[in-house]
Amino acid sequence: MNDFQPIEARPAPNQAVGFVAWLRNNLFSSIANSIVTLLVMGVLAYYIPQFIDWAFISANWQGTSEDACVKEGACWVFVNAWSYQFFYGSYPAEEVWRINLTIVLLIVVIIASFTLPRHIRLKVSIGAWLLLPIVGIAILDGSWLGLEQVSTDLWGGFTLNVFMAAASIIVAFPFSFLWALGRRSQMPFIRSVSIIFIEFFRGVPVLSLFFMGSVMLPLFFAEGTNVDKLIRVWLVLIFFMSGYMAEVFRGGFQAVPGGQYEAADSIGLSYWQKILLIILPQVIKISMPNILATFVMLFKNTTFLLIIGIPEVVQTLQTALSNSYWLGGHALEGYLFVFLVFWASCFSMSVMARRIEHKMNTDKRD
Amino acid sequence: MSETKSAIQDLEVITIENLNKWYGNFHVLRDINLRVKKGERIVICGPSGSGKSTMIRCINRLEEFQEGSLIVDGIEMIEDVKNIEKIRKDVGMVFQHFNLFPHLTILENLTLGPIWVQKKPKAEAEEIAMRYLERVKIPDQALKYPGQLSGGQQQRVAIARSLCMSPNIMLFDEPTSALDPEMIKEVLDVMVELAQDGMTMLCVTHEMGFAKKVADRVIFMDAGQIVEENEPNEFFNNPQNERTQLFLSQILQH
Repeated sequence: MNDFQPIEARPAPNQAVGFVAWLRNNLFSSIANSIVTLLVMGVLAYYIPQFIDWAFISANWQGTSEDACVKEGACWVFVNAWSYQFFYGSYPAEEVWRINLTIVLLIVVIIASFTLPRHIRLKVSIGAWLLLPIVGIAILDGSWLGLEQVSTDLWGGFTLNVFMAAASIIVAFPFSFLWALGRRSQMPFIRSVSIIFIEFFRGVPVLSLFFMGSVMLPLFFAEGTNVDKLIRVWLVLIFFMSGYMAEVFRGGFQAVPGGQYEAADSIGLSYWQKILLIILPQVIKISMPNILATFVMLFKNTTFLLIIGIPEVVQTLQTALSNSYWLGGHALEGYLFVFLVFWASCFSMSVMARRIEHKMNTDKRD
Repeated sequence: MSETKSAIQDLEVITIENLNKWYGNFHVLRDINLRVKKGERIVICGPSGSGKSTMIRCINRLEEFQEGSLIVDGIEMIEDVKNIEKIRKDVGMVFQHFNLFPHLTILENLTLGPIWVQKKPKAEAEEIAMRYLERVKIPDQALKYPGQLSGGQQQRVAIARSLCMSPNIMLFDEPTSALDPEMIKEVLDVMVELAQDGMTMLCVTHEMGFAKKVADRVIFMDAGQIVEENEPNEFFNNPQNERTQLFLSQILQH
């Protein structure tokens, strides 16, 4: 009888590696490709030096007022002078540690919910997430903690965008899960209510929702009650977000194989045990990329709040641009700065999302 | 009167009478009658679409039926959530595609039912789980995730998961159909052991060797009906029905 002799693995042939090979494969693989590559390079070669010159070499970095901007390039002095307002709005400077503390708490909770040991991760992080909006409001407002109260009129800037987006998604999360469950429900009443809700908030522009929140919503409150404008907008964002996320979750529910439901049923779990212990964890894992995409969308949509006069970062920028000491036309610098801040946050979120996906795929292969 | 009744129930763990089921207008199960005694091992075979899986899935109410009656362990299957849950605690099920919970470790898969359904303390549940993992010969995999195990190992975990609930009846729905040939044996070995321990088993399978070895009765189904049932020797050597003969000639040819 012959012995089975395994043949040793050999590397695959023709593996072109290195920069030149990459160039040839990706940029100059055909004549048409080469022409396009050269054209694009030409355009870049023309504009990039100009931009660099404007943004860095002949830019004005030093100074505190418009008069400091003597050179031809960008006037970063403008951004520098207004940076406090861009980040913190009109929040009193001596209390600004409260905003920073809230941001730190947010970051700590995000990190904790992915790095805590597995057996306590879910319990601790769910509790932390649900407490976070309340703790955040308590710290920022201050009156519950005996700190000096800072009225919401003074909140503003980029941190307000962050807080509005984060506070909305946290509250919207459980609601959207329930809406998605409702949409899958066997009971006609629950199902139709869920569908109407979801489709309404997905089918209506977010701007009109903001107007509704600031103008129409007060009509529904009892007379004499004055609900803070930020809270009304918060409610709108929660509804809007939960409509979108419900659809994200529905996709997740559909992606969980039917066998998971049957297996849970067959060992005798009740409906809610089945949903919370078996289905929800898998739905969240499947939906994680879409949840983050939806969050990025909501985060960017918070700039629309300027329409109803909430001093988020773009609104603050416009205030700065129309300030009588800064009439030199610094819109380009200002908007570039806002782009950069948003881009940096959204990009780091998507990097984080990729990390999370990768981590989830490696420690829980299926 | 009540004594005789309970004696019959002791003896007969599953009683199916005139069961009929429709998917929409499609009549999938037609006048099914089946009595299973305690400790009996039944193999159900038949062509695909014959309703064999649907029938055993009716037993733990993964499928509803429209007509007839079904009594499991003396509990009548009716539209009552309490009864359905009671029956499910009594009946274990193993699926073709294992259906382990991918986000939980093997040990957590096994302890989930005992902890949440039977309200056992965690330590006790884990002890039970390890006992059954040893019984299916993979205690060393306890802390891995299902995705890290081979198909045969996953199916053995699925069997152990059902056993952890200490069921009186085990249902197997084509437990080896999704497995590579080399892994079928390890699963069948576990099932044979289980049969030798006296578990009441209903098994949808085409593993005729298994049927010959352990079955007390083989049931052949086609077009939603029970065509023939007999003890294995008679069934394989002397099938009474033409349809059965055709089926057997086709699956035993190779």
